Amino acid sequence: MITNVTPLDALGDPTRRQVFELLRGGPQSVGELARVLPVSRPAVSQHLRVLEDAGLVTHRREGTRHLYEIDAAGVEALRHWVDGFWNEALARFKAAADTRGEKR
Amino acid sequence: MNEAVVMDAVRKSVTVDCDVEDAFRIYTADTMSWWPVKTHSIHETVSEIVFEPRVGGEVYELSTSGEKGHWATVLQWDPPHRLVLAWNIRERDPVATEVEVRFLPDGDGTRVEVEHRGWERLEERAAEKRGDYDSGWDEVLASYVERV
Repeated sequence: MITNVTPLDALGDPTRRQVFELLRGGPQSVGELARVLPVSRPAVSQHLRVLEDAGLVTHRREGTRHLYEIDAAGVEALRHWVDGFWNEALARFKAAADTRGEKR
Repeated sequence: MNEAVVMDAVRKSVTVDCDVEDAFRIYTADTMSWWPVKTHSIHETVSEIVFEPRVGGEVYELSTSGEKGHWATVLQWDPPHRLVLAWNIRERDPVATEVEVRFLPDGDGTRVEVEHRGWERLEERAAEKRGDYDSGWDEVLASYVERV
């Protein structure tokens, strides 16, 4: 199913960010992911679907197993997302440093 | 096959109104005062962010219930001028991206430069098991860029 989920939406959820980070270590099945995450297998599947719709994750069959892995093009999307993240983080850092720090 | 996308490092800088020592201290030892923990943390609620101040040290968050969430490993620790982190949330990830932060005197203040690099390593990793790639990705990315 094609939806309009963007990487930004997909990674806006902390659990989905965890799923994405775990997949950066290599392909994994739903069961493998569910073992290390504090959510159920159906919930992991749901998160994977959103990540897949956003183009961040793809899946393939290996025998009877469904393996999920990072979509390389999705990495570029993540890079864009990180770009936006640092804008936000550094703006906040500036606000804190300007008020809390001493001048030279 | 599509040509590989060249993924440059993300580079950002900001000039702040304090000296280099304070900028470094606020960045690494007073991180809770500025890090957007509400949207960028592993746990729902975070009480502390810790930079262990040495090469090989760990950067992690502590949840309000005391659980640790790994963020990064310190690769270079050169206070108050520079630090480099291997950004590998949760330690399971063998392919970390790298974040370098530099603190440079700039007039009365400090110029803080962030470089987040190593995207190509992630791409290689993802491409290992993948054949030719083609999808409606451009469209997805375009709609994303519009929103930013």
